[in-house]
Amino acid sequence: MFKRVAMIAALVAVPATAEEGAFAEGSKAKSWNLTAQEKALFTAKVVDVLCELAGDCPPDCGGGTRQLGLLRDVDNALVFAAKNGQAVFTGAATDLQPYCGKAVEVDGLLTGGDEISAGAAKIFQVQRIREVGGEWSKANRWTKEWRRANPDAKGKGPWFRRDPRIVREIEKDGYLGLGPDEDKVFIKDWY
Amino acid sequence: MRQMMVGVVALSALMAFPAMAAEGKRVSVKGELIDTWCYFSGVMGRPDAVVGSAHHTCAMWCAAGGIPIGLLGEDGEVYMVLKLPGDDASNGGETFLTMTNDTVEAEGMVYERDGLTYLVVSEVTSNDGIPNRTHEDFGVVPGNVIPDAVVDKVLEEG
Repeated sequence: MFKRVAMIAALVAVPATAEEGAFAEGSKAKSWNLTAQEKALFTAKVVDVLCELAGDCPPDCGGGTRQLGLLRDVDNALVFAAKNGQAVFTGAATDLQPYCGKAVEVDGLLTGGDEISAGAAKIFQVQRIREVGGEWSKANRWTKEWRRANPDAKGKGPWFRRDPRIVREIEKDGYLGLGPDEDKVFIKDWY
Repeated sequence: MRQMMVGVVALSALMAFPAMAAEGKRVSVKGELIDTWCYFSGVMGRPDAVVGSAHHTCAMWCAAGGIPIGLLGEDGEVYMVLKLPGDDASNGGETFLTMTNDTVEAEGMVYERDGLTYLVVSEVTSNDGIPNRTHEDFGVVPGNVIPDAVVDKVLEEG
């Protein structure tokens, strides 16, 4: 009982403050109650982060294999795009890949800051994107791409319950990553 | 004519180096490979609840989903990992998925840009697996990681 109360206290003790940051004007981003959250709407160029920093530059930003960033027009800052708009554990790179090297406008949320990292920088969640002057698209193509790449992963439940690589890793190392026997000890103790 | 030659040389140099690389620094750093989105955003709870064994399955979901992996150094710095040895597939790649929450000692190049620190790992010199047993304090995060059917089966077995 005490363990459960302690766990719940830890999970609710999250500093979530809504901020209107420097790039909030015109943003239609939806709140996710994130740490030091800021709405942000800006124009940028989509870049391969490893290329931008280390000069390791394959064609087409790596063709979908690499993390991508947003080189913001107004201040040349490299904004690290970590998350897309879907609430299913999905990153931003797959949604940004079609725009590699292009000038885009993005709308979303910045989160992080000095409560999290010494550098006080924030990472970005892309909620919608368009080529400059084009039509807006929601940043939600990840699951469609996953279904295309995993036609045999059928069954009920969200993608992360059916993904063959995740299923394989859990069978091998358990839900805690410590081996199936540790899972059994934990379940008998907590449930 | 001289100005034109200088211009041609400058243009050739730019074409030979399509990206202006930042200045990197060689480092050796030890820490845990974490799920950066949950750590930065607080979406699943406070930072110490979204590392280690408590968050391992969620971190795998995020890694497979293409969320960046970071190395949480012993100094508290989060190094965004752009490459692991032999694998630059930081968007959901196999090496990134299989090493989530491992505590490793890594050698490579660090790049700092606009407040974030990025790491290009050339070698993992040690891997301690998952010594950070956070499930003992937090259970699993999120709480529904282990399906009810799995829980019921274990409890029935006694």
